[in-house]
Amino acid sequence: MPSQLSFTGFAWKNLWRRRLRTLLTLLGIGMAIGAFVALVGFSRSFEHEWQKLYSASGTDIAVVDKNFMNSSVNQSLQGKLRAVPVISQAEPMIFNIMDITPEVNALIFGWLDDSYEFNSLTFSSGGRFHNGKPEIILGELLSKNLNKKVGDTLDLQGSNYTVTGIFHGGTGLEAGAVIMPLDQLQVLSSLQGKVSGFHVRLKPAPIGESAAHYLKRAQAEIEAALPGLNAQPAADRASNNQFVALAHAVAWGTSCIALLMGILGIANTMAMSVFERTREIGILRAIGWKAWRVLLLIQVEATVLGFVGGFIGIAFGWGALHLLSTLPQTASIVSTSLSLGHFAEAMGISVLSGLLAGAYPAWRGAHLSPVEALRHD
Amino acid sequence: MTSPQLEVRNLTKSYDEGRIEALRGVSLTINAGEYIAISGASGSGKSTLLQLLGGLDVPTSGEVLFENASLGTAVNLDEYRAHRIGFIFQAFYLLPTLRAIENVQVPMLGVSGNASNRADRAEVLLREMGLEHRLTQYPNELSAGERQRVAIARALANNPSILLADEPTGNLDSVNSARIMEMLTGIQQKRGMTLIIVTHENDIAHAAPRHIRIRDGRIEP
Repeated sequence: MPSQLSFTGFAWKNLWRRRLRTLLTLLGIGMAIGAFVALVGFSRSFEHEWQKLYSASGTDIAVVDKNFMNSSVNQSLQGKLRAVPVISQAEPMIFNIMDITPEVNALIFGWLDDSYEFNSLTFSSGGRFHNGKPEIILGELLSKNLNKKVGDTLDLQGSNYTVTGIFHGGTGLEAGAVIMPLDQLQVLSSLQGKVSGFHVRLKPAPIGESAAHYLKRAQAEIEAALPGLNAQPAADRASNNQFVALAHAVAWGTSCIALLMGILGIANTMAMSVFERTREIGILRAIGWKAWRVLLLIQVEATVLGFVGGFIGIAFGWGALHLLSTLPQTASIVSTSLSLGHFAEAMGISVLSGLLAGAYPAWRGAHLSPVEALRHD
Repeated sequence: MTSPQLEVRNLTKSYDEGRIEALRGVSLTINAGEYIAISGASGSGKSTLLQLLGGLDVPTSGEVLFENASLGTAVNLDEYRAHRIGFIFQAFYLLPTLRAIENVQVPMLGVSGNASNRADRAEVLLREMGLEHRLTQYPNELSAGERQRVAIARALANNPSILLADEPTGNLDSVNSARIMEMLTGIQQKRGMTLIIVTHENDIAHAAPRHIRIRDGRIEP
C-alpha cells in the first residue's frame, strides 16, 4: 500500500517539521482557550447559582432601584408594595459581600426572621436568628472554613454575633454565606432604613392568563405603584445583578486579552513559517499549485493549530475548573461539567482565532511571485 | 501546416527598473514533440527564457503563445503550469518533509482523483524511474541522482505536454548525468512530449536535435 498524501496530511507535516515551535504555539492558544473555558465557565456557574438562589426560594420578582446597579431602596415602601393586588408576599432584603476575616470573604444577606426565604434552607444544627438580636446563621461551607458551630460567636467589624444555626441551602452561594437579621445588617453597613430591594412572591395567576403575561402585568402594576423602582423577573435579576455582571465582564475581558495573545502567537508562527518556506511556496507554484491553494494550505495549517489548541485549551480549562471545585472558597459554586454549548463555543473561538491569525501570512504566501520565491535563500 | 505549440514573439524581460535586460527581443517557435537545448553563458538569459516559457514569470514586453493563445491573458498561468508544464530544476527542489512517493503526489493534490489514485500514479511513475525500492525514503536519504529522478517523476505527475528542465544535470556526476539525460530523452520519445533543456554543458546541448544559443539576451543566429 503506497503512502497516500492528503491536503490536511501535508499541512500537518508542515506544522510537525518545527515540532517545538508548533508545540509552544499550541500551548499558547491552549492557555488562551483554557482561560476562556475556566473564566467564562466560572462566571456562568456563578450566574447559575444565582438563578438557583431565586428559584429555590420561590421568588418571582425582585424590586430594586431603577437607576443604580448597587440598589438602595427605602424599607418603608414595603407597605405600599404589599398593597399591590397581585403580590402575595414582599420581603425586604439586603445583600452584599463582606470580609469576614482577612482571608475569607462571603456573601452576606439581611432578612427578616419570618421571611419566606428561609423555606429554601435546611438547618443541620440550630435554627433561625431573631430580629433585633446580634445573631447570625452560617452556611455549612462557611462554618467549616471559619471553624464555627452553633453557640460560637463571630466578630464582624468589632461586634460579636452569636451563631444560632448552620444551614445547607439550595445553592452554593448560600452554602458560603452569612445571613443575619435585616436590622443588624442595616446597622453594620450604615444603611438604616434602607434595603437592597424586595423579593416578591406573586399570587397564583388567574385561570386563563398565561404565566408570562401575568408576570408582565405584575411588573407593570408594581412599577406603577412604586415609581422609580424596577420590578425585574427573578431570572433576569439573577443574570443581571452587579455581581454576575462583574463576573461576566472580568471573565470575558480577561479571556479576550488571553485570546488576543493566542492569536498573535499563531500569527507569529505562521508568518515565520511562510518566511522560512518561501522557496517551497515557489516550488508549489512552479509545479502547478494555484495561489488560492497555497492560501488554503497556510490557512489549514493555522486552523489546525486553532483546532488542536482548542482541545488542549478545553482540557486546561476543565482542569482549572476541577481545581477550583476542590478549593474551599469556590467549591460550592463551580461546576466541572462543560455544557456542549460551552465546548462548541470554545472550539469555535479557537478555530476562528486560527483562521484570523493565518489570514495575513496566507495572503502573503499566496501572492509571492513564483520566480522571486524560487530565488529566495 | 500545423501551428507551433509554443511561439515566442519579440520577448523582453528587464529587472531593476530596466537597468538589467535579461532578454532583448527574443522570438522563436517550438513545435509539439520537439527536443530543444538552450545554452549560453551564465547570465545570458537562458533560464529567464525558460521561466517565461513555463509561465513562472511575465515578460516586460512581447508575448508567449501556447497553441496560439497568449500566456497570462488568454491562458491562465496557474492552469498552464498545473496541466501543461512539468518543471525540473538543477537543485531538485523536493520537499524535505515528504517521502519520495509523497513528493510526486504534491502536484496532483486538488488536480486529479482521490488520494488512492494519486498514490498509485506516483508509484507507477517512480517505478518507471527505477525507484521502486526508494518509494518511502525522504529526500535526504536519497542520492543526488535518485532525487533528480524523483523530481522527474513529480514533473510528469499531471501528464504535461511540455517538460522544462533547467540545468537538470548541474548537480550530478557524469554517470548520473548520462543516466538522467537518457531518461529525459526516453520519456520525450515515448510520450511524444516537448522537451526544452537549459544547459551550459556543450555535449548535452549538441546532442539535442535543435540547439539554441543565447548571448546577452539574444538568440545567436
